[in-house]
Amino acid sequence: MAQSYDRGTVESFGRWREFQAGMWAWILHKLTGWILVGYLFTHIAVLSTAIGVDPGTTAAGMDTYTQTLQGLEELLIVRFLEIGLLAVAVFHILNGIRLLFVDLGLGLDVQDTSFYASLVLTALITLSSLPTFLGGVL
Amino acid sequence: MAKHYSSFKRGNWRWFVQRITAVFLIGALAFHFVTLHFVNHAANISFAGTQARMSEIGYFSLMVTFLVAGAFHGVNGVYNGLVNAGLSGRPKKIVAGILIVATLLLIGQGLRVAVAMSTLF
Amino acid sequence: MSTQIEQETEVEEEQTESRESVAERISDQRREQIQEDLDSAEKTVELKIFRYDPEIEGKKEPRFDSFTVPFHRGMTTLDALIYARDKYDSSLTFRHSCRQAVCGSDALFINSQQRLACKTQVGELEHPIRIEPLPHQDVVKDLVVDMQHFYEQMHAVEPYFDPDELPDGELEEQRQTPENREKVKLSTRCIWCGACMSSCNIAAGDNEYLGPAAINKAYRFAMDEREGSDRKKERLRIVEQEHGVWRCQTQFSCTEVCPKDIPLTEHIQALKRESIKNNLKFW
Repeated sequence: MAQSYDRGTVESFGRWREFQAGMWAWILHKLTGWILVGYLFTHIAVLSTAIGVDPGTTAAGMDTYTQTLQGLEELLIVRFLEIGLLAVAVFHILNGIRLLFVDLGLGLDVQDTSFYASLVLTALITLSSLPTFLGGVL
Repeated sequence: MAKHYSSFKRGNWRWFVQRITAVFLIGALAFHFVTLHFVNHAANISFAGTQARMSEIGYFSLMVTFLVAGAFHGVNGVYNGLVNAGLSGRPKKIVAGILIVATLLLIGQGLRVAVAMSTLF
Repeated sequence: MSTQIEQETEVEEEQTESRESVAERISDQRREQIQEDLDSAEKTVELKIFRYDPEIEGKKEPRFDSFTVPFHRGMTTLDALIYARDKYDSSLTFRHSCRQAVCGSDALFINSQQRLACKTQVGELEHPIRIEPLPHQDVVKDLVVDMQHFYEQMHAVEPYFDPDELPDGELEEQRQTPENREKVKLSTRCIWCGACMSSCNIAAGDNEYLGPAAINKAYRFAMDEREGSDRKKERLRIVEQEHGVWRCQTQFSCTEVCPKDIPLTEHIQALKRESIKNNLKFW
């Protein structure tokens, strides 16, 4: 047989306009997952400033840990990143719940509706948290 | 025929534990977010405040479990994503090794941090 | 041959001809006949069909050819393809057989979705109609893909009825309750068309993944009560290896494209649960 023409897998993402709900859910779940893992490692690194804190400095809040964290919180960009983190985490949780139902074999016929619902809920929760996150900086 | 849970083959238990940790993490992550952004505002975090929370055995153990569950769930997720994309054979074994080491380092460092934040130990 | 209209065939001299427009190579007689068909039809439809042939000089680079076919109500994409092949270009190659959605030969990528050509109404599609071979599989020629990998995955799950033991009497039936039959009914409808596997991104990335069709087949037999518990355990052992059920990420594309409406994802999930239950039983 003559050699076959291998079109590769690139064409799948090239057709993103034709993706159905289930496909988007899978892609977003993976994406948010990677972001959260990356964050976890970063988070532990930042919190490591708590190691070796000099007890004498803690009362006045002058220790490295407090200084680092409060210093970060003062930056507006950090506040926006936190909102992003909330959106990412909330989506991952809500879609995760949807996936748990799918794994249990419940509600498979409404799997696409439940994906849209998790998107909407994520948006709602993120928006309602804006005052808290931006309070004191804006 | 007697069966031990050691009859769990490679693919099985990681899928299962991923779901178990998922259920736990839903609650733990939500709790963590609410505690540190809504009950206490992140801008007001201080060592003293953190120490007060972490010195309570219930909260401390929750945080440690959270760390371990989160580390497993996340790294296992990453591993699965790579295998789905076609990682196999030798590279797969190498990546698995690296990920296991990274997880252990993460948990190790996390525990050091937790202990440093607490007056319990 | 003398009274018949000349058949268009791929000839050596014509290899070097430019193939910009298919219509150029058609004889005048044929062109007249096609024009008659187009004029008398209620409307015409344009097909854009993927062409590729590694053995022909002018066709080693894949491209899309355009064909205008007459439309009539109830026409399927397969009808359109056959018209294009018979009247315009007999080198157009595609698989088809039963034309009634039971053989699974004509699974194609039509307007960006995996469908059976014989089951897809031209009237329901957006025009021009874009017809390509199934994605994620090697193309042999035009719309024909290499199905070997698909068949290998199917065979790997031992897709045949194989009970632990046969009944004692020669004339005794192997009984199945109506409830059990209901349970496996949908999974028996697979026609091995390959649409599902072609739609799965995991199957595209991971070459060893069994795929929705194979796992569905395994489900069909594992859940059939006539086979017996030992056979079920063996079947589960096959699908619970690393590249079996666990690779499924519940993308649902397979369920969406299956022309026989089999709830593939549901069946894969059921086998995951069966496997866990099976393995948790350490008492």
